This record gives sequence, C-alpha cells and structure tokens, in this order.
Amino acid sequence: MSQLRRTLKDFSRTFRDPVLAIGLLIAVLFVFVTILLPILSMIATGISGEGLTDLQRFVTDPVYLNILRNTIVLGITVAIGGTLLGFLFAYVQVKVKVPFKRFMHFMALIPIISPPFALASAIILLFGRNGLITRDIFGSRCLWGEGRGCNDIYGLDGLTLVLSLSLFTVAYMNLKGMLEALDPALDEAATNLGANKWQIFRTVTVPMLIPGIAGSFLLLFVEAIADLGNPLVLGGNYEVLATRIYVSIVGLFDTNAAAALSIVLLVPSITVFMVQRYWINRASVVSVTGKPTGKPQQIEHPIVKWSLFALVMAVCLLIIAIYGTIFVGAFTEVFGVNNTLTLEHFDFVINGYGSEAMADTTVLSAIATPIAGLLGIFIAFLVVRKSFPGRAALDFSTMLGIALPGTILGIGYLIVFNNPIELTLPFGESPLVITLIPKLAGGRGLLGGAIAIILVFIVRSVPAALRSGVSLLSQIDPAIEEASISLGANNAYTFRRITLPLIRPAFLSGLMYAFARSMTTISAIVFLTTPQTKIMTAQILNEVENGRFGNAFAYCVILILIVLVSMAILSVLVGGSSGASRGLQGGR
Amino acid sequence: MKKLTFALSVMLLLVTLVPAFAQAQTLTVLCTPQEDWCVAMTQAFQEQTGIETSYVRLSSGEALARIRATTDNPEFSVWWGGPADAFIAASEEGLLEVYESENAAVVDPAYRSTDNTWTGVYVGALGFCSNVELLEELGLEAPNSWDDLLVPELAGNVAMAHPATSGTAFTAFWTGVTLQADALEAAEAGTGYDETGAPTQAAIDNAFVYFQALHQNILQYTRSGSAPGRMAGTGEVAVSIIFSHDCVKLQLEGFQDVVVNTFPEEGTGYEIGGMAILRNAPELEAAQMWYEWALTADAQAISQTVNSLQLPTNPDTPVSELSVNLSEVLLVDYNFAAAGLNRTALVERFDAEVAPTPVE
Repeated sequence: MSQLRRTLKDFSRTFRDPVLAIGLLIAVLFVFVTILLPILSMIATGISGEGLTDLQRFVTDPVYLNILRNTIVLGITVAIGGTLLGFLFAYVQVKVKVPFKRFMHFMALIPIISPPFALASAIILLFGRNGLITRDIFGSRCLWGEGRGCNDIYGLDGLTLVLSLSLFTVAYMNLKGMLEALDPALDEAATNLGANKWQIFRTVTVPMLIPGIAGSFLLLFVEAIADLGNPLVLGGNYEVLATRIYVSIVGLFDTNAAAALSIVLLVPSITVFMVQRYWINRASVVSVTGKPTGKPQQIEHPIVKWSLFALVMAVCLLIIAIYGTIFVGAFTEVFGVNNTLTLEHFDFVINGYGSEAMADTTVLSAIATPIAGLLGIFIAFLVVRKSFPGRAALDFSTMLGIALPGTILGIGYLIVFNNPIELTLPFGESPLVITLIPKLAGGRGLLGGAIAIILVFIVRSVPAALRSGVSLLSQIDPAIEEASISLGANNAYTFRRITLPLIRPAFLSGLMYAFARSMTTISAIVFLTTPQTKIMTAQILNEVENGRFGNAFAYCVILILIVLVSMAILSVLVGGSSGASRGLQGGR
Repeated sequence: MKKLTFALSVMLLLVTLVPAFAQAQTLTVLCTPQEDWCVAMTQAFQEQTGIETSYVRLSSGEALARIRATTDNPEFSVWWGGPADAFIAASEEGLLEVYESENAAVVDPAYRSTDNTWTGVYVGALGFCSNVELLEELGLEAPNSWDDLLVPELAGNVAMAHPATSGTAFTAFWTGVTLQADALEAAEAGTGYDETGAPTQAAIDNAFVYFQALHQNILQYTRSGSAPGRMAGTGEVAVSIIFSHDCVKLQLEGFQDVVVNTFPEEGTGYEIGGMAILRNAPELEAAQMWYEWALTADAQAISQTVNSLQLPTNPDTPVSELSVNLSEVLLVDYNFAAAGLNRTALVERFDAEVAPTPVE
C-alpha cells in the first residue's frame, strides 16, 4: 500500500510539469492506438468466429504445419547465414589487417538502402535457371546437382542467399560496434598467458560477442519469417506464412483467415522478441567501461589474413554484381535476352506510371521521419530519465513496432482503421455517436488513406530512434540536466537546449534510418496503398512480379537516388556528420 | 532545429493536403489488363475529356476482393478489363451498377450481359506460351494438349497464375472443368452437365484431380495472369499458361524467336474482357463517360499502340493480323454464367487444396 502511494507520489512529482505530463499522455496514446490496438484487434479477429475455425485448421492440417515448418526453417537458415556474413565482415573490419576496409564497410551498408526484392530479381537474372552466371559459367540450369532433381535458385536455398545478403547489414553493425568496444587489454592478457590467435578468437573474442551474435541471430530470424517480397518472387513452391497471408488478403479478402495466419506467425516472433529482451540482454558479459584503451591487435598471419580477405572480397564482388545488374538492367531492353541500351524503362516509370508514387512516397516518408525521430527520442528520454509506473510497458510496446512482422501490423491496420472507430452513447431514442477515430485506411479514408501509411512508417521507425536515444542518454550524466534545472530552466527548455544537442548524432542516425526504412518498406504497407496514395515499393513489387525487371530496376535506381539525396539533405539540415558514422546501430 | 523540423513537416503536410481539397472532376479506374495499356487508356481519356483520370492495376481476383471489401464506400468508379467471370461474380453479389449504354448496342450480344451490368470490351483465347530453346533441350514439342503439360520432363517447368488473384488462371481452371464435363457427358449423358447446363460437381472434382497433377509440374503460381509468359520468355520455365495475346505481346517486345504460342487441340477457353460501373460509384458521371468512350472504335484501337492484341468488341475497330482468329481455334463451350457463380467457392478450394501442397 505504502509502496503504491510512493509510486503515485513519484509520479505526480515527476509530471507536475504540464509539458511533461502532456508529452507522456501523447506518447502513451500514440503507442496504444497505433501499435497495441491493431495487434490486439488482429488477435481478437483471429481467435473468434470464423477466424478460430481457420486457426484450428492451420494448426492441425499437415499442409499448413508444413508451411509453418518452412517458415521457421527459412528463419533459421537466414539467421545463420546473415549472422555469419555480418560477423565475417565485422571481424575482418576490426580485427584483421587488410587493405580496402572503407570499401568493405561501404559494401556492407549498401543493402539497407534498396528494396529487398531488387536483390531477388537481380539474383534471378544472374543465378536463375537461365541466368547469366548459371547458364554461361556453370553451363547448367541449376546451382548444383544434375538433371531434374537439381537445385535451382527457387525455393529455400535462393531465399536464404537473398535474404542473408539483404539483411546482414544489421548483424554487421551490431557486431562491429561490439568488436570495437572490446578492450584490447583482454587480448593482450590472453597473449601474455601464452594463447595463440586462434585460442584468443575461440576463448575470448567469440564468448564476448555471444550476446551480439545471439541478438543478430534473433533479429534476422524475425525479419526472415516476416519477409513477403522475396518469397513471392523467388519462393517457387516453397510456401511460407507471409505469402499465404498475402494471398488470403489480395485474392480472397478473407481477413479472418489472414488474422488466424498472422497469429501463427506472431507466436515465433513474439517468443524471439521476449528471449532477446529478457535473456540475451541479461546474459551480456560485455562491460563498457568507457572507451577502450590502446590499439586493438590485428591478425597478420598471411594465410588467415588473405583467405579472410578473399572471402569478404568474394561477397563484395557478389554485391557489386547484383547492384551492377540492377543498374545495367535499368538501361537495357530485356536483360540477357535483348541487351540493347534504352531509356524507355525510365520513360515509363517517370512519365506516367510512377511519378505519382514517387511524390507520395517521398512526401509521406518525409512527414513520418521527423515525427518518428522526435517521438523516439522523447520516449527514450522518458524511459531513461523519468520514473513512472508503466515505464517498462511503454518501452516494450514501442519496440513491438519493429519486433513484429510488418505483415501482422498491416493486417491489424486493415482490421482497425478500415472503418471509423465510433463510441455510441445510449441517450434514449437517439443515441449519440461520437467518432473517436475516422476511417484512416483505404481509398475513401482520411486524406486518401495517407494517414494510415504515415502511421505505419512512424511505428516501424520509432523503435530505432528509441534504441539509439536510450543508449546515448544512458551515457550522458544526468547531472548536466539537473544543473540546468537548478539554474531555473524548466523541463521543456532543458530537453530542448541540453538533452537534444547532446544526442544529436543519435537523432540524425535515427532519422536517416527511419527515412530509408520508410522508403523501402513493403510488408506492412502493401495492404494499405490506395488509388489516391501510391507507394513505390508496392509498384516495384508489381513490376517484379510481372517479370518486367527493366521497369523495376529503373524504379529501384530512382528510389536509391531519392534515399541518398534525402540523407544528404538531412545531414545538412540536422547538422554534423558524426551521426552518420555511428550508422544504423539503432536497428536493434 | 526543432522549429525547422516543425516548419518542414507543416510544409509537407500542406503539399499533401492541397491536392486533396482541390476538387476538379476526377475518375478512378480499376484496371485489370497489363500496366502499359492502363496507362495509355487513362492518359487518352484524360486528354480527350479533361477529367483527371487515375487508375490502379489489380488482377481480376484482387479487384473482386478489393471491391467486396469496400462495398459501401467504393474507391473506384469504373472497372475495366479482365475476364467476365469475375464481373458475373460481382454482379451476382450486387456489386455492379446497371447502366444502359448507347454504344453497347454495337457489341455482339454474346459479349455483353443481359441485365446491363457489364459489357465486353475485348475477347481473347487461352494458349500455351513456350520457350522454344528450352523445349528443345528437354526434347519436347510445343504442347498442343492439356495432357502434354503433365509429362514428368516438365517438372518445375510450367508456370501459371493463382486462380484466386488472376482471371487468366481462373479461365484456365474453368476450361479444365468444361473439358472434364464434356468427357463425362460423352461417357454417359447427364453426368457432365446438370439440367441448367452447368458442369456437375463430378466434373469439378475431376478438374481438381487434373490441376493437382499439374501442380507437380508448376514452378510457382504468380499473382498476375500474364506474368508466367515473362518467365517462359526469360527461360525460367519452359511452358506458361496465358492468354495468346499476351504471348504475342511478348513476341513483339523483344522475345520474337524466343517464345512460341500453341493451342490445346481438345479445345481452349476464352475470355470476354468486361467493363462495369461499380455500385455506389463516387464519380458516376465520369464513369458513364468512360463506359461510352471505351466502347468506341477509337478507344479500342489504343490497344494496338501498346501491343495488346486482344480482339476488339466494337466491329468498326481495325483488327491486327497478329490477333488470334477465333474461327481457327477450337474453343470450349465456356459457360460464363456458371463460371461466375462458382468462382468464389472454386478459388477458395484451389487455395486450400492445391496451391499449398508440397511438390513431391
């Protein structure tokens, strides 16, 4: 009882400042309406009425169990592949003495700024059954094996390759950060005790990185099981849950079945999220005690060094080949069939087909980005600096925006915001109907459904800003802010003049990540595009799905340009380039 | 800095708000044929009428699903193109507006509805579009029978769309139903067709048996009907089941000697590309203008500028010599009404029973 009273007292003291109180209220309301409500409604639809019948079928029918197994197997293979790739790049970057490090770093960052199915289509042109490399170099229709049972790019192997390549950046950034933070003194101590490099690697480096490796593994797992674009293009007959959800909506508009399938997909995602949050973070053995002192020892053994170098370069070469294909494909008639140079794909995309979508997507992302950035930092500020009941819940709910598959969020939005949310007050014969939230999604929704799309953009981007904000704020001594308060400044002034400038780098990287993420997201918004609000990624998927790769590539080239130019503008606007080098660690 | 971001967001918000409030006459078309044809049609209509015309391309099944989901407050006013089966299904559910069109009189009555809910704008026949080089490698002739698609050499080498999303694929499915009904009827009168002339459940079940067998050879089900043709063109699969005009379009657009079009000798299905005004259409007047315009010879001639060589339904439209000659192809007796009625149940069954099963 007294405990409760104390909490309430704390609470009222903290939020006596009206600005802070209103801010908290807005943040809580926002998180509830845009994240919790859609997810809860989706679950409610999936476990009631027809949804429940579907759900029972999905968890008992062997065909659907097989699809669930496929989804999880894909998640595991991609998590292993992507983490290994990320680790390789990070290790070579930090611990091995090789040339061209900046180039490798750049190569590892590229995949984040392009829509993932750009990779899938380029891979088909290179490694497909009639691909440039498969046909002309392997002289076969398959990657390995002979005859009819041979292994081609379609299915699990191709999906693993493409998804690992598109997603390994996150693992790379995580692990690189951790490797850099490792105190070289540990290596030195081990060396002094007589360990060789291999023993150091095995008994010092890897154990210290376990939380990072596990974290990346789980993150990639969730991304992979949620991915929609690649299985649609490259899946062959390898069916996964995300594509099933997609067909049940676009082909049948069966929201019950889609919700039931989403629940099946939700279970592994949320499990992984919990494991990551409550187990990995606790198991962390890395103690950050300020900046590491001394220069890290680097591997110089020629065989080890050059074979690692060759491995990384081979992957870089693959990335160059893929992006080269995208670029060249954008300018050729039909890549591999008729290689005449042409500008007609750009003409088709810019004059008529895509111009509207380019404007819409850019504007909506540009609106969502600063909101997501500010909201993320503000929630980080609340979570780190203020104590109030429900603090952990606020953090947890906000993180759900990225921890859950985009498909689930999209279905949730479709269920909740396709109709106005109304409150009916029973006043006798003429009940009073109050519209709490107008219809946000769909063509006849508010502003042509644009609001729902902006909300999805924000929800998917806030977690990154929140995480980078939290990690930076934890490193800033609260005494600085307290000093400002005791000098007579209020909370808002302190936040604006002291806190924000201190965390500007995180803010900038959060914004950049948010913008790139919004411009390239597909799974959540594919269900929400409307005749009035067209989204580039959905249109690119359309072109890819129809095999008009030239148009798709021209589109991708333009999308990449927009992202790069916007990032440059953002750097200038927010100022200071230090944030850029901190990169996209917020991805966790 | 915060001020700047704020100013920026307000500015951007205005940019999006202003066009939404500027109310010129508009038309939103739900367009089912290939993208470039949609672009050409909407641009031409906009130029001639000054009505700001936009479109969204959705395959038949997707279009039907989308219309169903937004019945009370439709996003579109007119639906143009795609097999009539989907229009009949929509009409049965009361999703279409009755419109007595002046220009529809020129269209052959076989190609329009009796209750003025939809009118045909083009006609096309289903065929097999195959990659010549690949067939040669596999030691096969271009398929000229539905059974040719079942040979084990074609494992993973056939592509078609998903009937739930694509009208092309549903046409293929219903063609299968019709052929099975004919076979049953030939063996014993009254077993293939019921009194109303619709195929029996036994015929439908047999069609599922056929498509279950074909499933073993399918690489993947695409979303849109014409996509499998591209896969044949780029050599990802040997045979695709698509409309023959989509195969000709590929030949005209860079795949001249790459793909070959054949028809099954037992008979093939055909489509009447439909057009309808949606119930509660928000832009009714503009939709009616589109309806009349799309039936003129001038509007129907636009198809040839984008290599879409469907047969026009307005007899005054010049016909390309590359278009299919329906008198030379054996067509099945395609019961559009029954197809439309059964559509939803069949695609749901296909999606539950055929599509997700793993290939051995």
